[in-house]
Amino acid sequence: MAIIRRKWTPQEAEEWTREDVIVWILSPLSYFLLSVGSALSLFLIPAGFWILGAGVLVTFLLFYIADPKLKVISGEYEKRQKEYLERLERITRWEGN
Amino acid sequence: MVQFAAPDWIWLVLFVLLMTFSGVFFYKLGKRSQADFFLAGRGLPWWLPASSVYATHTATDTPIWIGGVIYKYGLAGIWYAFFSAWCAISAFASARIFRRSLAYTQAEWQSLRFSGLGAELLRGWFAGWQVFMNMFILGWVGIAMGKVCHFLFNWPLWVGLVFFSSLVAIYVLSAGYWGVVVADFQQGIIAFFMIIITSIWAVMAAGGPHKITAKLSSLGQAWRLNPFHFTGTFSGDFPLAWFVTMIVIAVLGGFGMGTSIDWYVEAQRIQSSRTVRDASYSIWWGSALVLLRNSFWAAAIIAFFSLFPHLKNPAEYEMAWYVIGFKALPVGMVGFFFASILAIHFSTISTHLNLGAMYFTRDIFQHYIKPDASERTLVWVGRITTLFLLLGSFFYGLMMEELTSWLIFALWIMAAGIWLPNILQVIWWRFNSWGYLAAWIANLGLSWLVVWVLPQFRVIPSLPDYLQFWILMVLGALIYIPVTLMTPPEDMDHLVKFYVMSRPYGWWGPVKKEALSRGLIKEV
Repeated sequence: MAIIRRKWTPQEAEEWTREDVIVWILSPLSYFLLSVGSALSLFLIPAGFWILGAGVLVTFLLFYIADPKLKVISGEYEKRQKEYLERLERITRWEGN
Repeated sequence: MVQFAAPDWIWLVLFVLLMTFSGVFFYKLGKRSQADFFLAGRGLPWWLPASSVYATHTATDTPIWIGGVIYKYGLAGIWYAFFSAWCAISAFASARIFRRSLAYTQAEWQSLRFSGLGAELLRGWFAGWQVFMNMFILGWVGIAMGKVCHFLFNWPLWVGLVFFSSLVAIYVLSAGYWGVVVADFQQGIIAFFMIIITSIWAVMAAGGPHKITAKLSSLGQAWRLNPFHFTGTFSGDFPLAWFVTMIVIAVLGGFGMGTSIDWYVEAQRIQSSRTVRDASYSIWWGSALVLLRNSFWAAAIIAFFSLFPHLKNPAEYEMAWYVIGFKALPVGMVGFFFASILAIHFSTISTHLNLGAMYFTRDIFQHYIKPDASERTLVWVGRITTLFLLLGSFFYGLMMEELTSWLIFALWIMAAGIWLPNILQVIWWRFNSWGYLAAWIANLGLSWLVVWVLPQFRVIPSLPDYLQFWILMVLGALIYIPVTLMTPPEDMDHLVKFYVMSRPYGWWGPVKKEALSRGLIKEV
């Protein structure tokens, strides 16, 4: 079994899994590295370029992990969206739940 | 006073025409329905709402307060603006749940998550509060533009406020959210491009990166290039404890909804995205641009510091970015620079005009006044409310300046006590509307006590803001957790529908079990 799963069935993608947790860790880390790295790089401080480079790598990894699952969730959900929109209108118009 | 040459005027007029009429161009799409006027038909690719997130959160007052903290604390000041990082987790957590709810607004979401009277009370409260908040932000940002124009051209304050907000209203009234996002896209590009140019120009004007670092060292100010330079662990006005608190608020806040005041703007961008995936990417990339922008601004302000290291008056150094742009850029670029200031102003004003109108139209007019209103009527109510918000912002901006600092402070405190409930509503099935309402009410009283009354009577010392946050969080929980447990859970049918539609994370065991037993979802 692969460390990072990239193939999902619609039902499997609906669950919150290890891949989501990894994304939740990588995403703030990416922001952190990009912010600090770009600020220091503008002053040509060598550590800034390393941090910025690490930020770009983490960002790439983040989307490498998140994207396959998001695509499957999106595709499956859009099929049911019309039904949910009708319910939303019923609630707003006091026509039942 | 700033003098414009002919090329400056040409840039300026061209950009104002482009920004205003590119929005108006979408008039026919905006008037089709309520979903078009407020959510662009829920059909946008991620990069359009992403540029709108970036453009909206770049306002005329943003370089002023970022300029202030960077001049004061050096690169460590970027953490003051790191609150946008709530989108890091939210993009892959709460944004997915909110997009799947399809709620137009956070107020409407309350009636999907909760049920009965409690849900209606929450929906009404959120709607009214957000209409007020958007008018407040419009007045606050509008008067900042009035001050910038007064600083540049010596115009009376009201001219910059009324003239430019009215220009924005032309395309918001015409095309609604279609006008907002299309204009935001090109305004975002103009603003980002100009921020990069001005910052690089500032660094070069100060002699380049090496000369700046050498100058800081010679002044004994090399610590300004250390983004982790704090005044102590708990001591001073910028301690490590504040940094840790900020990281917790920003990053973990992404698991909830409304943990940042920016959530309400992002929520509209999330719902206007064409898929769940587009929604996630829109707020992630929009916020990434905001954080990168902050780094560029920080470089410009550090360069400014190396040129003018002894300024003591905040009113002088807070305007650093504007001073750099108007004093250092060459003829022709000054008009372009002012156009970028208009771009950041227009994008913020347009968003809040449309957002405030959406809360009134969807959650107050349609839900409580005329549930069977036609799409045409709803679009017109949206337009009339937009106009009302515009006029209200003029009065607010001009008459209530004194109140602004108090309100900003009140908002911070209000955020402290409901930060955790805003997460609990997403992650814990048992958290109910009465617990959430109790959290809002308790926080008003507790913050008043902890921040003002008790220190005033010397019952407790005056506490630093990071400590106020933790104390208010614990005290509030002592009230809303018992209230939640002593009142019945939400109706199970309602919770199951919400669960199947949104698939939230956290503690939803009993609801998931019920959904499985009804055959609405399948065990993997």
